[in-house]
Amino acid sequence: MTAIIDLFSSDIVQTVLIGAALLGAISGMLGAFAVLRRQSLLGDALSHAALPGVCLGFLIAGGRDLGSVMVGAFATGALAALVMMLIVRRTSLKTDAALGIVLSVFFAVGIVLLTVIQTQGGSGSLGLMTFLFGQAAAILRSDLWVMGGVGLVALLLVLAFWKEFKLVSFDAAFARAQGFPVTALEAVLTVMVALAIVVGLQLVGVVLMVALLIAPAAAARQWTNSLGGMVVLSAAIGAASGAGGALVSATTRGLATGPVVVLIATGIVMVSLLIAPGRGLVWQATAARRARARISDGRVLATLQGFAQMHDDAGYPSERGMLQVALGVKPPAATLASLESRGLIRSVTHPPETTPHWELTKAGHSEAAALSGQPETRQRTT
Amino acid sequence: MRDDTLHEPEQALHVEDLTVTYGANPVLWDIDLDIPPGVMCAIVGPNGAGKSTLIKAALGLVRPVAGHVRFLGRPIGQMRGQIGYVPQRHSVDWDFPTTARDVVEMGLYRDLGWLRRPGKAEHARALAALAEVGMQDYADRQISQLSGGQQQRVFIARALVQDAPILILDEPMAGVDASTEAIIIALLKKLRDAGRTVIVVHHDLTTVQSYFDWLVMLNVRIIAQGPVAQTYSADNLRAAYGRHLAMIAVPAEEAAS
Ligand SMILES: Nc1ncnc2c1ncn2[C@@H]1O[C@H](COP(=O)(O)OP(=O)(O)O)[C@@H](O)[C@H]1O
Ligand SMILES: [Mg+2]
Repeated sequence: MTAIIDLFSSDIVQTVLIGAALLGAISGMLGAFAVLRRQSLLGDALSHAALPGVCLGFLIAGGRDLGSVMVGAFATGALAALVMMLIVRRTSLKTDAALGIVLSVFFAVGIVLLTVIQTQGGSGSLGLMTFLFGQAAAILRSDLWVMGGVGLVALLLVLAFWKEFKLVSFDAAFARAQGFPVTALEAVLTVMVALAIVVGLQLVGVVLMVALLIAPAAAARQWTNSLGGMVVLSAAIGAASGAGGALVSATTRGLATGPVVVLIATGIVMVSLLIAPGRGLVWQATAARRARARISDGRVLATLQGFAQMHDDAGYPSERGMLQVALGVKPPAATLASLESRGLIRSVTHPPETTPHWELTKAGHSEAAALSGQPETRQRTT
Repeated sequence: MRDDTLHEPEQALHVEDLTVTYGANPVLWDIDLDIPPGVMCAIVGPNGAGKSTLIKAALGLVRPVAGHVRFLGRPIGQMRGQIGYVPQRHSVDWDFPTTARDVVEMGLYRDLGWLRRPGKAEHARALAALAEVGMQDYADRQISQLSGGQQQRVFIARALVQDAPILILDEPMAGVDASTEAIIIALLKKLRDAGRTVIVVHHDLTTVQSYFDWLVMLNVRIIAQGPVAQTYSADNLRAAYGRHLAMIAVPAEEAAS
């Protein structure tokens, strides 16, 4: 217990915790818009394209200075975005192909630069490796001001242009028809995503950065149905993942921060995809089970009668799959078994198909007719 | 610094020499078009004829290589906010986290101006617009949980809430059920009777004569335009739709001849 208190009162741990939480919150907030605008892949390309900029910033500043590294990352990221836009406009390549090309070329250049710097050695060239997979422990107290500043600017922009960002994210064509400067608004959103990537690099690195952008937003979407709720929750999940990852890697020797942060964030996504009310898989399975339980014997009989009438064949064998389509859910085995034991339906085979089929018995026909008030299907005379 | 010289102000929509290309292919070729105010106009033509592109070019959403467009004599830049636009329903992702009323309020964002958020007055106007399309009970419903016809009505309410004199709808009846179609048509006719100009991209030729009073037939070029009674003819339909016409309704008196 005292060990934990010691840990929190340590200056370094505080810095790392605050920094990681801040970075997670910024990526989470801006990632929500990126995900809604289907720009996740652009985020991936931008973060990989930041690596050569990181190296250039390092070379120019002659050391691991956060300011120049961030400017460099931002510059090559912007260049990559520009190249991508030109490729899509001027060639017949589609967006995904352009993204793939730009991502790999910029990343390759970055790796080459990284190797060059390392072979030259020199002070702090090791610190550059942390931009590949991220290292929260490398965050300095002075870095917090840069991150805080970026976060504050992003927050103010999102608050000021909230309704415009919402409109552009939902329906850009309508926004344009209404006379909004859609290109400028989209540019601001994209630049903010690039900023989030640049500040997040320290925490998770260029390779995994896109996960910190997407995962909190994807998880948040499961729990809320409003844009405001999604943005706030996404920021909170990002902050929690960042702080959690920083703590784990601070207390465990030799664990890189980035992968741990991403594992925590994706863990939250998994849980959200499973159990979130309304959209979660478990919830939906439960709802389907309830709907199945509501399928009455009568509806199964009426459906079988309907098929028989449609084919003008009282002994028409209905396949289980057809029942499922007609009822909307899989007919519960218990219902079928109970109908069979009451002598209303009988299980038949319909070669060459091997799937179970059901037909109405005579009693079943009377029962269905009595339920629906329609005349019985006549026995086929052939 | 506003140019007040009006060009063809007696037309709700005036299009002259309009040509639009995607890459090298002309999608619209030398379009000359006039739609007078106060009509309910259908734009028809086969798939890929350029109907959506015509609307987008008129609204300034795609840049034409030639030609000009005027609404009531003015360029689109001066008429924004006075034109209600209903895009094709599938042009947006309906899983966006928002409610029906929120979407309708988007039609008021322009009037609100920068930095202001919708308040009580906007909520009330959005609810009134939803009531006009029979959707008042779904105001707080997630848009992903609405049926296709209900989503379409929300889109129409978003255009209605602006109180615009000109309404442009892109295939509002595509993929909606019969009762929604009846609601939409009754509403559009009511707006037309109140003096608005209603321009609808329409895909179902069998209902053109009963729904509309003005008709534009399009297939890259303008095939015919004018009052429905004069433009809806077998010759024009054949010119617009070519050999696929056999599957399409032909005016009764001409089909017999
Ligand atoms: N963004 C685009 N890029 C390239 N071609 C397009 C684009 N939008 C439409 N087209 C092409 O332009 C033609 C007209 O399209 P559109 O106006 O949507 O037709 P309609 O609405 O009449 O079905 C079609 O052949 C379509 O393939
Ligand atoms: Mg179209």
